[in-house]
Amino acid sequence: MMGELIARNLLHRPLRTLIGVIAVAVEVALVVLIVGLTSGLLTETAKRIEGIGADIMLQPPAASVFLGFSGSPMPSKIGGKLHQLKYVQAVTPALLQFNSGGGIEVIYGIDPRSFREVSGGFVFLQGHDMEGPNDLLVDDWAAKAKNFKVGQTYTLLNHDWRVAGIVEHGKGSRLFVPLETLQELVGARDKASIFLVKCTRPDHTGDVTDEIRSALPGYTVRPLKDFLSLMTSTNIPGLETFIHAMISLAIAIGLLVIFLTMYTTVIERTRDIGVLKSLGANQGFIVRALLTESAAMCVVGIGAGIGLSYAARAAFLAGFPTISILITPGWMLRAAGIALFGAILGASYPAWLAGRKDPVEALSYD
Amino acid sequence: MAITTTIRLRREGLIFPEQKTVEPILKTEGLWKLYRAGKVEVPALRGVNFEVLPGESVAVMGPSGCGKSTLLYIIGGLAQATRGRVLVDGNDLTELNDSARTKLRRHKIGFVFQRFNLLPTLTAKGNIAIAQFLHGDGFDPHRFEVVTRMLGLEGRLRHKPSELSGGEQQRVAIARAIINEPKILLADEPTGNLDSKNSETVLQMLRQLNKDLGQTVVMITHNPETVTYFDRVVHMRDGVIVDGIPAD
Repeated sequence: MMGELIARNLLHRPLRTLIGVIAVAVEVALVVLIVGLTSGLLTETAKRIEGIGADIMLQPPAASVFLGFSGSPMPSKIGGKLHQLKYVQAVTPALLQFNSGGGIEVIYGIDPRSFREVSGGFVFLQGHDMEGPNDLLVDDWAAKAKNFKVGQTYTLLNHDWRVAGIVEHGKGSRLFVPLETLQELVGARDKASIFLVKCTRPDHTGDVTDEIRSALPGYTVRPLKDFLSLMTSTNIPGLETFIHAMISLAIAIGLLVIFLTMYTTVIERTRDIGVLKSLGANQGFIVRALLTESAAMCVVGIGAGIGLSYAARAAFLAGFPTISILITPGWMLRAAGIALFGAILGASYPAWLAGRKDPVEALSYD
Repeated sequence: MAITTTIRLRREGLIFPEQKTVEPILKTEGLWKLYRAGKVEVPALRGVNFEVLPGESVAVMGPSGCGKSTLLYIIGGLAQATRGRVLVDGNDLTELNDSARTKLRRHKIGFVFQRFNLLPTLTAKGNIAIAQFLHGDGFDPHRFEVVTRMLGLEGRLRHKPSELSGGEQQRVAIARAIINEPKILLADEPTGNLDSKNSETVLQMLRQLNKDLGQTVVMITHNPETVTYFDRVVHMRDGVIVDGIPAD
């Protein structure tokens, strides 16, 4: 009977119910998408770094795990030192340049020969490796996003590049240019942002890491098998706060809309509340009925929100193929929990007011 | 049956000594109700002493604002008295908290209102069944069928209140009030919004409930024509009962 009462009450004012459902759906979708976008980008970036195939990455002292944020203060000659260490098979420098023109991306300036030694080389889908100073390699995702064709000219960092090849994604970046050209362009001659080290065997990673730390004290040495675990929003200054702020905003939207929806519901049903009390409904029944109604509306909103998240992700990916949005069951559950909590909280005060209504006043309400 | 007989005999002035001991099912003693309007206290009831025997049907008459509805709401446990005692089937309402009054109302009292007060989102069936649900014994299909047949509602149960006539809505309200077999039925001008034909139907139903089921009925009215359906008429004026005379 309680279920029938709630269902009929929700259907009695379909527009109001719909507004509540949409508010919850937007709340859930915002949480899922914000977290999904962040974690998707971080995870995808980490996988690309891991995908290079190196065992160790060397960075300047106090460098960020987010490579695009690091400068390029390391001299290239460090590479020679690393090469001399025991169990080191190959070393390659890379100069990383953050670029926000035409989308956010990190351009890798690489030495094709040593990069090949460390990574095992690119898988070419079209074209060929870098041959000249202005050659640009793009991965298949970037090629799809920007419609790159082999042989076309592309302006990047105020420089005209020729697309020499399209490679399979997953080797650090989406855009690769010759190291020396990039050094010249950004005024970092003989400098590198990172060094990637390949050990003779993966088992030697620990030994080599220790050796590098002894040889270059203060420098940041990271075994790349741990890299994925380091790529979290907590490691980006301010990102965690931004995510929390956005989630709070989403919760506030849901909570306020539910509050207003249930508040108007209680005012509109003042007489009905009086009737229920005259029939012997106690305060607990009235409160429970309204909270359950709010929760039911929220559950529908959660379902719609999850659907909206997938729809929005599909739309985003159609427009921006290089973006990665990771929708996980864990965060869907968390978003659902947050929405449910917000709905219950938002309905609590109106429900409490309803439960406390004087039955005689309620019965005479017009 | 014994109670009904007692009341009939009482109306005829033939009360035997042993039957005088029947305890009233409703009783108020020195009942006061003050409403606060700003800094001024306005008395709605001023020391009302009122008794209703089990199985009796009583009409309470009086002009608007004389305190009839206030009296009904207090003896029904919907409002609290400022002073005095209210005894309902042996329970002193003035000593009960809100929760206990609610429970007593749920089990012993049924209300019928002038404006029907059906829940607009539920069907006629839902409006009756919710009273059973709140009563706590669950849906009793047999009792439901008996009541709806008695009130001639069989064909209208799937309709919402907005799809029913005034008379039908009031019959649904009566069904809702009696579905749990409360000992007392309180009606606040139940014919006030009905035409004469429907008024008569409703009054006959209330009389039938009283005579056939022995249900105690107290009805508020300002229509002198309606009081012929009741054992006794009580007149109120300015918050006090001014007399108590047999209807016939």
